[in-house]
Amino acid sequence: MPAIADRTDVYLERFNDALARSADEPTWLQERRKRAMERFLQLGVPSLKHEEYKYTDLSALADGQLLFGTRAGGAETALPSYAAGGASDRATGAGPQVLGHVPQGARVQSLAEALLSEPDLVQRYLATIADYEDHALCAVNTAFFSHAVVITAERGAVLDEPIQLVFGDGLRDSLPRVLIVAGRNSSVQVVETYAGSGAYWRNAVTEIYAEENARVDHYRAQVESLDAYHTGRLQASQERDSYVSSFSISFGAAVARNDIGTRLNGSGCECSLDGLYAVRGDQLVDHHTGIDHAMPHCNSHQLYKGVLDDRAKGVFNGKIFVRPDAQKTDAVQSNKNLLLSDDSEVNTKPQLEIDANDVRCTHGATIGQLDSEAAFYLQSRGIGADRARNLLTYAFAADALERIKLAPLKEHFESLLLNRFASQES
Amino acid sequence: MLQVRNLHVSIEGQKILRGIDLDVQPGTVHAVMGPNGSGKSTLASVLAGRDGYEIEEGSVTFEGQDLLDMDPEIRAREGVFLAFQYPVEVPGVTTMYFMREAINAVRKHRGQAELSAGEFLKLAREKINPLGMEADMLKRAINEGFSGGEKKRSEIFQMAMLEPKLAVLDETDSGLDIDALKIVADGVNSLRSADRSFVVITHYQRLLNYIVPDYVHVLSDGRIELSGDKNLALELESRGYGWINDEVVPQAAAGV
Ligand SMILES: Nc1ncnc2c1ncn2[C@@H]1O[C@H](COP(=O)(O)OP(=O)(O)O)[C@@H](O)[C@H]1O
Ligand SMILES: [Mg+2]
Repeated sequence: MPAIADRTDVYLERFNDALARSADEPTWLQERRKRAMERFLQLGVPSLKHEEYKYTDLSALADGQLLFGTRAGGAETALPSYAAGGASDRATGAGPQVLGHVPQGARVQSLAEALLSEPDLVQRYLATIADYEDHALCAVNTAFFSHAVVITAERGAVLDEPIQLVFGDGLRDSLPRVLIVAGRNSSVQVVETYAGSGAYWRNAVTEIYAEENARVDHYRAQVESLDAYHTGRLQASQERDSYVSSFSISFGAAVARNDIGTRLNGSGCECSLDGLYAVRGDQLVDHHTGIDHAMPHCNSHQLYKGVLDDRAKGVFNGKIFVRPDAQKTDAVQSNKNLLLSDDSEVNTKPQLEIDANDVRCTHGATIGQLDSEAAFYLQSRGIGADRARNLLTYAFAADALERIKLAPLKEHFESLLLNRFASQES
Repeated sequence: MLQVRNLHVSIEGQKILRGIDLDVQPGTVHAVMGPNGSGKSTLASVLAGRDGYEIEEGSVTFEGQDLLDMDPEIRAREGVFLAFQYPVEVPGVTTMYFMREAINAVRKHRGQAELSAGEFLKLAREKINPLGMEADMLKRAINEGFSGGEKKRSEIFQMAMLEPKLAVLDETDSGLDIDALKIVADGVNSLRSADRSFVVITHYQRLLNYIVPDYVHVLSDGRIELSGDKNLALELESRGYGWINDEVVPQAAAGV
């Protein structure tokens, strides 16, 4: 099919440029990039025929224009800082802006810096956790990312304050790449924020490696331009007794697709994959989660909540694999949606594959409307109809918001939600 | 204050109210009694502006304005309050947040300054303590997990906060033990004033021992069949509602 071959030409051209630019990278990385490119050319941008993308039309990404095309330099869309201490003194080269004081025991480095200071660690984990063999979008990121941020926490280092990475406008932030390695008994919190203006495609990949008894709390706050495509993959790999939490906030973008997963490689692991999406107009938001229970005595929790208005569409697909060795697994999954209009819709699907017998796996999905009795109750006390709607929307999302442990982040999105839905589209 | 004239209301084509007339003067307490299903809650809901009722005939005027033309929140801001027979649980919104929004919406409408968090809390404490509830209740989600009695007291608390001109209490006594009943009645009585009126809907006479009404009306099958003073309530207590249908209605029909 020549039409399709033509369309990947841009990627191919760009890849040669990219390779030339990264000529001083170690061979292993160049090899991984080449392999990722090869896989991307074989897989192509997923079409609606792909089972995992059947509700999410990414055809606009096929020719690469939204990724590589020159972008009008709109005004920077600012998101507030959720980290204490303002801009970090740690440079990450031309990568994202880093906010937050980086305490003793932790490092926030650019790829180039990390390749000098911790080459073995980078080689061990970068592009080994997030799979590009079978995931075309991850392959694109792996082949093309030009800046990566490497966050490491030494053994036992406990970071009380979060590190925030700000991905704003500009080509350099189109392919965010983050590697987080939390050493034994360490604890880190990372917030990634995405915002921009105009039409573009941002394709982000974050890998997390949690060593024994480490704790990683990860937040992604996505408020992209309403003309943008946002695709993101967060993949964690957990050793025994570690804890990883992910909270995905998805308010922006015309089309947002997030793949969030973790693999529990040791016993006693725990993970929490949670999220909140709120969309309107013609927005589409798609979350695919995957939890791989490979070992016994691990717990996983998932709570995804969605609020949809106008003609917006939501997709949730939650995969839970319980491998034969994973006895005593406790997995809970819940996806709840609130439809504020007749034309909004949600496709939600749990997907459980259980190959062990002594486990507890529960899942539930709901799609509901606003409680008109509750709305009347609020109005009967003098609260306006729009305000009542916003309050009930907020109330619907409250238990998901509660899972955001970073107060400033939680408060910011609480207030966005409280003021988001007026009776008219605006 | 409130004039209800020849009010006919139906729900989904079924006639519920068949010509209600009611005049409530400032400072008076009207009791509306009647058997289950006679239309008491329907009347209360129509006054508060709940959706789903068809007004087939008649009018309701509140302080000279057409009440039926106002949205529910405007009625509340103008001073109409309904204590619900079945208060609604609203998980995720604290009573504190709810009442602060409500009181400030009402104050704004009345041209008063909004209350600060501190002022609000002070006022809330003043109003909540006499009702035998702890200020901790404010931190709980609206009515969520409240006992029947707590829900009813919370309604009275909300009324005390919003200081309405006309309060309609729909079976606020049901499900209350005698101590709770007294607390609720005290709450209502302490709000009685020359310019505030009450419509107290109840199935039983018991509440009226504590909230002594100026007028008692008997609602039966969507019509006020009989009106009188507080003694009418006592008569109903001893003779039951059957008496209305057996004697009063036939007499009225015969023009006696
Ligand atoms: N939402 C409704 N749909 C249909 N019928 C209703 C509805 N609400 C009340 N009714 C009917 O209207 C009549 C009056 O009900 P209601 O006003 O609740 O009486 P009361 O409060 O005096 O017990 C009853 O016959 C009841 O079944
Ligand atoms: Mg009733």
